[in-house]
Order: sequence, then structure tokens, then C-alpha cells
Amino acid sequence: MSLPLLIVDDSSFARKQVIRALPKEWEVEVSQAGNGEEAIALIEQGKGEVVLLDLTMPVMDGFAVLEEIRAKDLPAIVIVISGDIQPEAEARVMKLGAVAFIKKPLEPAVLSQVLRDFGIYSG
Amino acid sequence: MSQGHHGLEEFHWLIEVMQTVDVGVLVLDLEYRVTAWNGFIENNSGIDSSDAMGKSLFDVFPDLSVEWFKHKGDTVVQLRNRAFTTWEQRPFVFKFRNNRPITGVTEYMYQNCTFIPVIGTTGSVQNLAVIVYDVTDIAASKLELKAANERLAQLSRTDGLTKLFNRGYWETLFETEFMRQQRHVRDMCLIMFDIDHFKKVNDTYGHQAGDDVIRAVAEAVRSNSRATDVAGRYGGEEFAILLLDSDLDNTYALAERLRASIANTVVKTEAGDLQVTVSLGVAPWSASFAHHGQWIEAADQALYHSKQAGRNQTSVAST
Amino acid sequence: MAFTQAKGRILTDEVLDEELRDCFQELSNVAVGRAADLLARLLNNFVIMPIPVVNLLERSELSMALSSVQDAQSVSAVCQGFTGSKIAGEALLIFNDASFTDMAELTHFKGEITEQIELELLMDIANILIGACLKGLAEQIDVSFSQGQPYLLGQHINIDELLNKNGASWKRLLTIELPYRLEGRAVNCDLLLLFTEDSLNVLRDKVSYLLE
Repeated sequence: MSLPLLIVDDSSFARKQVIRALPKEWEVEVSQAGNGEEAIALIEQGKGEVVLLDLTMPVMDGFAVLEEIRAKDLPAIVIVISGDIQPEAEARVMKLGAVAFIKKPLEPAVLSQVLRDFGIYSG
Repeated sequence: MSQGHHGLEEFHWLIEVMQTVDVGVLVLDLEYRVTAWNGFIENNSGIDSSDAMGKSLFDVFPDLSVEWFKHKGDTVVQLRNRAFTTWEQRPFVFKFRNNRPITGVTEYMYQNCTFIPVIGTTGSVQNLAVIVYDVTDIAASKLELKAANERLAQLSRTDGLTKLFNRGYWETLFETEFMRQQRHVRDMCLIMFDIDHFKKVNDTYGHQAGDDVIRAVAEAVRSNSRATDVAGRYGGEEFAILLLDSDLDNTYALAERLRASIANTVVKTEAGDLQVTVSLGVAPWSASFAHHGQWIEAADQALYHSKQAGRNQTSVAST
Repeated sequence: MAFTQAKGRILTDEVLDEELRDCFQELSNVAVGRAADLLARLLNNFVIMPIPVVNLLERSELSMALSSVQDAQSVSAVCQGFTGSKIAGEALLIFNDASFTDMAELTHFKGEITEQIELELLMDIANILIGACLKGLAEQIDVSFSQGQPYLLGQHINIDELLNKNGASWKRLLTIELPYRLEGRAVNCDLLLLFTEDSLNVLRDKVSYLLE
């Protein structure tokens, strides 16, 4: 069974870049969200066991998504992919329960490595 | 031509251009020691290159603001990001004389500078380069324009006869201070006063003499008030002084001093020596004033009271 | 999305289609992230990341691109031209004058904040935000820009004065607005990147391979 993967970014261009960077042989069922609210709804529907999350977004940003996931105790493994590269931003998301923080622009090798590190992908 | 020879030739003309280009190029190490500089710096500073290499920049240019320069330089090195400074921040970074005897209008060369982090082969910042531009011409014309504009603004703010603020500008300042008082209360007082029987002076001795009297009163205002007081000619023979950070006692004392000083002044006019008196009204600021006009009205009431009571005196507004 | 809601205006012009606009927005997002990182390090204060607003504006509409400082009573502004690889434009940093008190505190400046001090602060911020943003953008599209000397547009002026004062011949510009704020501080400023209409075609070519 393929893994439900959710990509959250307000930019469709950025989502496309993430999809392109996914390991080729990785069997996943990709869903996309353009902001935090859509993301939470999809996670609640079971579409986001693994979430690749942007931080700077309108309506509901990435920090708020992490808070919500924690508050509702949703079963999601969150990897943040962010243009906001302040060390403080990284510290905050890690504290909020993200498992990893990846800087934009996204490099496919970095993403694969992180996925391997957490045993999410074993290619 | 061999590759090596070609490289050497290229190096040669590169150095030649660098040496003659009409901007200053200065390279420092991270301890702010001079590593290299070009002809522009050498010629304008009058310092021989051989006397500067390897020395601390701050020893070579003792006039340089060490703290300011290091702040710029350190930020550039740490953040690996260029910084630009303009002559508006400080007219010059390096104190170079403006050496043009005919077209030179300023004593020193105005400069814009660019601070550049120089990344070495290891990928880390190894040097700091500073580019110095001579912007004397631009700065001089901009300063001239600014001065002209200021003169124009000054003209529209002051009363031609007394050189005090004119009514319009005085009211603007008064209103601003009144608004500021809403947020942050300080001791503030207002004096309104006018010249007693001024119409008679005009009618008897002529307008020329009347103008002399007004000028003399304005002079008395200037010599009796502090730099922070805001004084204006409010009407024909009416004046207003706003005193910042002055309580009622102080203000009353100043008003009385001013009154006595004017009463004792002999005004020399073509129609002969004249003496005039003034009646004054003092109103301290009160929280009950909803509008600045009410404050002026309070001072005017006090002034009116002085007139009624026989003139040549000061009254304080009842609160 | 927020940028269209905030502006109350959706660009329907064929020159800037949604895909391209979205792409510029994302490239800007990465660039401003780097600038925010540098600024945060300089001031030791968390920077709230702006969501870039990308528009194609007529000159008369420029004031709409200045949302975050629109209500400012008075502003100070610096502009700096840049050019490279047939892309040219100008960066405009507009600082709400109300920000200077907090800014001085963050930079540990003690004493009276004179106009001179304000200018130093303004230039420090301008150097970082403009420099890092341009560099971030340029690297992603594989070009490099030279920056001209910055120019002080004015201190303590109002927005209208600022925009009217600088009448230029251009008709339409690609604008990227980056409204920066500092967390817990009354500091806000708007960085505006303005690209000439001619640059737009070059930019389109440069990003085309990213859009494939």
C-alpha cells in the first residue's frame, strides 16, 4: 500500500518542485494543500501520514499547522521545507514537533537523505 | 604567445587600469591592515604606498572613525554582504582635501563608499575591499538646492517685519505641541500680549514709527525668551509666546520681565523717541482644553482683563 | 490566496500569468528568507517572514504596492538601482519613521536619536535587505546583479510626497513587495523590488526551465 504524503505550500510552483524532488521509486499517494487550513483537513482525512510543510503561508502558516497537529494529536510526521532559514525558525518548528528542517531551495539529495534518516523511505 | 606570457600581460594591464581608474580601491585584511590600494587613494591622501602597506588603516588615517568603520566592516565580513555608505551619512570617510582651486566649492572630498567582502579560495571571507567614489559635485549641488529650499521655507515661516514666526506657522507649531501634550503632559504656558494704544501711535506718528515700535517689541521678546520658547507675531500688534517646560510661576516672571523691559525701552523713530507699554495674558495648559483654540481664548481673556484693569500689566487666566 | 485578497485586485493581464506570478513569488520567498536570516542575526531579533506580493502595476497604482507602510505618518526611503544579464530595476526600501525608536534599541544605541542616527540605521537595514534579496534572487535564476550607489530619497516625508517626487517615464513595472516586520517590535518596513517591463521577458526566459 502506498504512503499518504501531503505537500503543503502556498506556491504551486514550490509544490511542483517538491514533487520533482521526491525519490523516483518511492511509492506514495500525493495530496496537495495551498495553506494550513486545507492541510489540517487533509491530515484529518488520513491523507498526510507524512507531511512536507512550508512555513510562510497565508490563512494559516506552518507554525500554526504544527500547533494544530499537536493540539489535535494528529498522526502525522512533519518535515518542514522552508524559505525562512532563521535559526530561530528551525528551533521553533523542532520544538513544535517537526522531525526535520530543510532549507529552500530544495535539493533532492537532501530530501532523500532526511527521508532515509527517519526510515520513511528506504531506497 | 605562450599561455603564461598572455596571463602575465593580462595581469599587467589589469594592474595598470586599477592604478589609474578614477575611483579609490582599498583592500584590507581582516585585522584592518592595508593590503593594497590604488593610485587614487595614494594621490588623494598624499601617503606613499610603501608607508602604508601592512599597517593598520587607523594608524594610516588617524581621522577615520574607528568605531563606525569597524561596525560597517565587521557586518560586511560576518554577513558576507556588501554595504554601501553615502555622503549623506557622513560627508567623507577618508579626509581627502578637495584640491580643485577653481571649481572646488567644498574643503573636503565628499564620498560614497562600497564595502565588499572578498571571498578567498577557501570559500571564506579573507579580505575587505573598500571602493571610494568622489561625489563632491553631486553633494555640493544637492546641498545648494537644499539650502535654497530652506531659505524659501524660512521665508514662508517668518514675519518680515519682526523676524518672529508668522501667525500661520506659529499656529502650526502651537497645534503640534498641543497634540503632543495630549500624549505626554509637561508644564506648558502661553502668553498673549499686545501693545497698548497702538492705533494712537500709528495715527499720531505714522506707520513708519509704528513699524519701528513693533520691531522693538519683537526684539524685547527675543532677548527675554529662551531658545525653546516659540514666539510669533499673532496679529498687527498682537504677539504670542508658547513656553515649553515652564510652570506658571516661571512664565509669570518672564511676562513681567518682558513687560518692564518694553516699558523701559526708548524706541528711536524718525518722528522722535517713543515709549510704549504692553498688556499681557498668561494661560497655563489645562487638561480641560479640548481644542488648542480654547487655550488661546483663555490667554486672550486674561489679556483682556489686563486691559480692563488699566493696561501695562500681566493677568493670569482663571482656571 | 491572501495576496489577491489583500490587494483586492487580481492581475488578469496576459503578460503575467498565474504560473509565472506564482514562480516569482516562490523565488522571492527563498530570497527574502536569506535576507531575513541576516537581519535577524544583525539585530538578534526574530523576523516575521513576509509573503511576497508580486504584481504588474501601472505607475499610478504603485501606492497599492506599499501596503505595510501605507498608514505611516512619515517615512524615510532609500533606493538603489541594479542591473545584470539584461535585467534591470530598482530596489526601494521604505521605513516607517515610527520604527526608529525600537530599531535604535535593538542596535544598542543609546542617546538621542538624531536624523543622522536614523540615516545610519536606515542604510544598515537597506544594505542587508536589498543586498541579500537581490543576491538570493539572482542565484536562483543563475545571473548576477551589480548594484549602483544607493540614493536617499528623503527622510520624514509622506508616502505621496515620495511617490510624486520621483516621476519616471516608465509605464508598467513588475513589482515584488516584501513587507518586513520584527517580532515583538514596532518595526516595519517595505522592500519593493521594481523591474522594468523589458526585464520581464528576460526573467520569463530565465525561469522557463524551472517551470518545465
